[in-house]
Amino acid sequence: MILLRLITWPYVRRHLARASLTTLGIVLGVAVFVAMYTANQAVLRGLEHTVDRVAGKTQLQVTAGDAGFPEDVLERVQAVPEVKVAVPVIEATLETGLTGQGNLLVLAVDMTGDRSLRDYDLESGDEAMIDDPLVFLAQPDSLMVTEEFAKRNGLHADSKIVLGTMLGDQTFTIRGIMKPTGLGSAFGGNLAIMDIYAAQQVFGRGRTFDRVDLALRDGVALDQGRAAIERALSPGFEVAPPSSRGQQFESIVQVYSISMNISSLFALFIGMFIIYNSFAIAVTQRRADIGILRALGAFRSQIRTLFLVEGGVAGLVGSAVGCVAGLGMGRALVGEVATMLEGVFGIVQQPAEITLTPGLLLFALVVGVATSVVAAYLPARQAARVDPVQALQKGRYQVLTAGQNRARRRVALVMALASAALLWLGRSSVPFYTGYVLAILAALLLTPTLALLLAEALRPVLRWLRPVEGTLAADSLIQAPRRTSGTVAALMLALAQVIALGGISLASYAGITDWVDTALNPDLFVTADPSLAVRTFRFPAAMGPELRSIEGIEAIQQVRSVRVPFRGGPVLVVSVEIGGLQERARREPVAGDAETMYRLAGEGKGVMVSENLADLRGLALGETIDLPTPGGLLHLPIVGIVKDWSDQLGTILIDRQVFIRQWHDDSVNIFRIYLKPGASEAAVKARIFDKFAGSRRLYVLTNREVRGYIMRLTDQWVGMTNAQLAVAVIVAILGIVNTLTVSILDRRRELGVLQAVGGLRGQIRRTIWMEAVAISVIGLALGLAFGAVNLHYILEITRRDVGGMNLAYMYPVSIALGIVPTMLAAAFVSALGPGESAVRGSLVEALEYE
Amino acid sequence: MTDSAMVELRGVTKRFDGKRQVTALHGVDLVVPRGEMVSIVGPSGSGKSTLLNLIGGLDRPSAGEVVIDGQALAGLTDDGLTRVRRDKIGFIFQFFNLLPTLTCLENVALPLHLRGWSRRRTLERARELLDLVQLGHRLEHRPDELSGGERQRVAIARALSVYPPLLLADEPTGNLDSATGADILALVRDLHERLGATVVVVTHDPTVAESCARTITLRDGLIVGDERR
Repeated sequence: MILLRLITWPYVRRHLARASLTTLGIVLGVAVFVAMYTANQAVLRGLEHTVDRVAGKTQLQVTAGDAGFPEDVLERVQAVPEVKVAVPVIEATLETGLTGQGNLLVLAVDMTGDRSLRDYDLESGDEAMIDDPLVFLAQPDSLMVTEEFAKRNGLHADSKIVLGTMLGDQTFTIRGIMKPTGLGSAFGGNLAIMDIYAAQQVFGRGRTFDRVDLALRDGVALDQGRAAIERALSPGFEVAPPSSRGQQFESIVQVYSISMNISSLFALFIGMFIIYNSFAIAVTQRRADIGILRALGAFRSQIRTLFLVEGGVAGLVGSAVGCVAGLGMGRALVGEVATMLEGVFGIVQQPAEITLTPGLLLFALVVGVATSVVAAYLPARQAARVDPVQALQKGRYQVLTAGQNRARRRVALVMALASAALLWLGRSSVPFYTGYVLAILAALLLTPTLALLLAEALRPVLRWLRPVEGTLAADSLIQAPRRTSGTVAALMLALAQVIALGGISLASYAGITDWVDTALNPDLFVTADPSLAVRTFRFPAAMGPELRSIEGIEAIQQVRSVRVPFRGGPVLVVSVEIGGLQERARREPVAGDAETMYRLAGEGKGVMVSENLADLRGLALGETIDLPTPGGLLHLPIVGIVKDWSDQLGTILIDRQVFIRQWHDDSVNIFRIYLKPGASEAAVKARIFDKFAGSRRLYVLTNREVRGYIMRLTDQWVGMTNAQLAVAVIVAILGIVNTLTVSILDRRRELGVLQAVGGLRGQIRRTIWMEAVAISVIGLALGLAFGAVNLHYILEITRRDVGGMNLAYMYPVSIALGIVPTMLAAAFVSALGPGESAVRGSLVEALEYE
Repeated sequence: MTDSAMVELRGVTKRFDGKRQVTALHGVDLVVPRGEMVSIVGPSGSGKSTLLNLIGGLDRPSAGEVVIDGQALAGLTDDGLTRVRRDKIGFIFQFFNLLPTLTCLENVALPLHLRGWSRRRTLERARELLDLVQLGHRLEHRPDELSGGERQRVAIARALSVYPPLLLADEPTGNLDSATGADILALVRDLHERLGATVVVVTHDPTVAESCARTITLRDGLIVGDERR
């Protein structure tokens, strides 16, 4: 398009800084989105790659969540006629202890049958050893590693490597090195193969397997084989192709993904206002050009198209830059994301490379361009309506303000009422989200009117502070409320989101603190992994009495947690002695009677569920649930609903005896230890270490350390969102610079006259500064007020669709108080540049402007 | 409407609504025959520029009718009015109104691009016009690299880009020194004679007014004089 080259391009070149600013809104929004998405995808693809490589020729896998199952299940699967070969697997990660090597994925298999499913592709010299599996089996310290891992650590056949196992540090011997293809490329090369019976010892699994991998006989369809195996097993088992593990992972981290996507889309939404503002400025600045074009015969549609295409190009460039920036941010972020997901969900992963798929690139470009074009629409329409006569008269500018728009206010009022009515009418998704959108639209439509009212209210204050400058600053805002409304709207939205997420953080911290105080009150926690969510290692039940016998310990509680499928989604089943829980960590239920709840659950006649699970899955007190377990369907009523923060996807609390009966598993993940009155924490900790030194891998965490761990995770979670909010606030501040620039441009003559009649440069500067601070004050007032409404909606979204957490409404006063000086200071800083530009340049030219 | 009339105004009134209503033109009747060079004079606020804007289709009258080259403007849509401007009228402004970011060649080519002409044909015509106004050596210069007289020559070349039958000039020498003003006036007269275009010039300058075959005098929105030489 020739006009784009002749009209737009020279303008962009002349105002490169502003053009960059225009696209910055889109760049930031798209970058945050791409970074979050690619980081998540890298973690997910890392898992899928590992699953794919480890699967080999496996067609189906039999699992029972991450709980594992007794060895006899293997025989039942092997006995199914449709099954050609079925082999047991334990798959777990452990820390190598080698500098910079992180986690090692251990695939523990039965060498006698496993080679029919997996090709180990060994270095030539090692083939002989693996050809006779008995050699491998006969030496339980055998380990095969990948060529890459061996190279990185200077290992070769017969090298020794020390790994922290359930039985303490153990020395393993490298007896095979896999080529870096196929299986050898899984988990970024940090893979080791171990004999499965040795792994049962190493990971404290007893006589259980994690899963059975199998291939079907030739000619047996996948569904047919799957059905046959399911018939042979109880409902607690899942029979699925290896690829479905990726989906399971996705559903586990969906809360995180949704939170991040909402925040990035919000950043993009705020970016839209900056684009709107920048285009409004461009239309003002280029009014004369538009007038010339119109006089020379350009149609309105040509002018409108010109600005819309500019918007599209800005969106395209912004999205493209955003994609590149997002990839960089994603690379910086992926480690953090992986660490956090490990901490929160217990999933240890080796993320894949950050990549931009064509689909994501297309999506980012489409979203960026669409956002930009939508934002440019109103300024484009305004440009098309420019009156050529006025535009060509030097200095006479198009009046930006249309005064108080009564129709707009009426629409806003109707929307606000409709939003309130929808909130009152229904709790289902459609009315709720429609109501939320209407509330935002009503706030946006009311922004110019409210900004005007606030500017009028500020006038006496500004005048009192500085009679001349204050009056000029206030009058500038009063005379042109629409000039500032874009920026005020961006500020309002950004601050409303800060308040909403601040409120969520506040309520989360309060809720978590309360939960930690009541439910996590043991003095010490004995775990097999420093991360409380990772359940790789398990203690034998026999360790319980050994611990109890240690001097200073009054009571212990044994906790075993497993993540299992329940009604189409994962859920965390936490088993614990309910009697002990009632005695030591009694929680008041949010639904149900405490006495009945603890009694029935303790007797194995009911389950307790967390409030978030009840909300997410629509469970009610008294409802009977069917929980699939290896021992058959567990058919029990819900006897109480409690607040529990153990898992974002929800928790089912059952008595330990029920778990042992249904899962045939008495192992323990965590021992919760209560000390006798007067017993020293440090002394008991030392005694525990002494007792199990060299024979058990264990970590003893104090209550304070566990609290610290949980709070750190919460900080990390909240911190991710806060980082995005910082982006949103920066974008809003850029809007102030834009607004001031157009304000100065519009008032060039007024400022010139002020100087001509003796106004000092300092006074002009102060006028601009005061205008900026006043915009900030208006944005703050509206943002903090709309934040109160937004917080309500965000809390409801959190409850119904994100985490199921019913958080208390707590307005984050301290955050609000903290943000006031921040925004005022930011406004002042953003006014420094425009303030200088207002006093520079030719006075004669400024006076000639009319 | 006479066949030979290029511009015909019948009872044209223009009011501006604001805090106080201002009537800039009161029922003006005017006929400018094809090929005539007319000057419009009068004191500030007499309605000269308003009249020119109405003739140029940049504005619409509050009452009355404006007919350009046989086409009544009243019933035209905004696009229709734009089409008349694009095809039939060339504008020359006091402050040149060149786009500062474009070269001379690009400024002159702009109206042709708006008509959708091919790039080659557009550039050929723009070069030809710049030669015509004796600026063939300034093709790639930007307006800020030119003198006032040269800028006005570029503006004239741009106004002539489609060889419109009607040329409207609003104070074409108002922003130039007297020598340069005389040059520009000579150029306009020359083009009028060579191309046969109808020219309407709004001016304060008696020299410019006197150089035209006919002078119309406006005062308080009314035609108070119509002198032919």
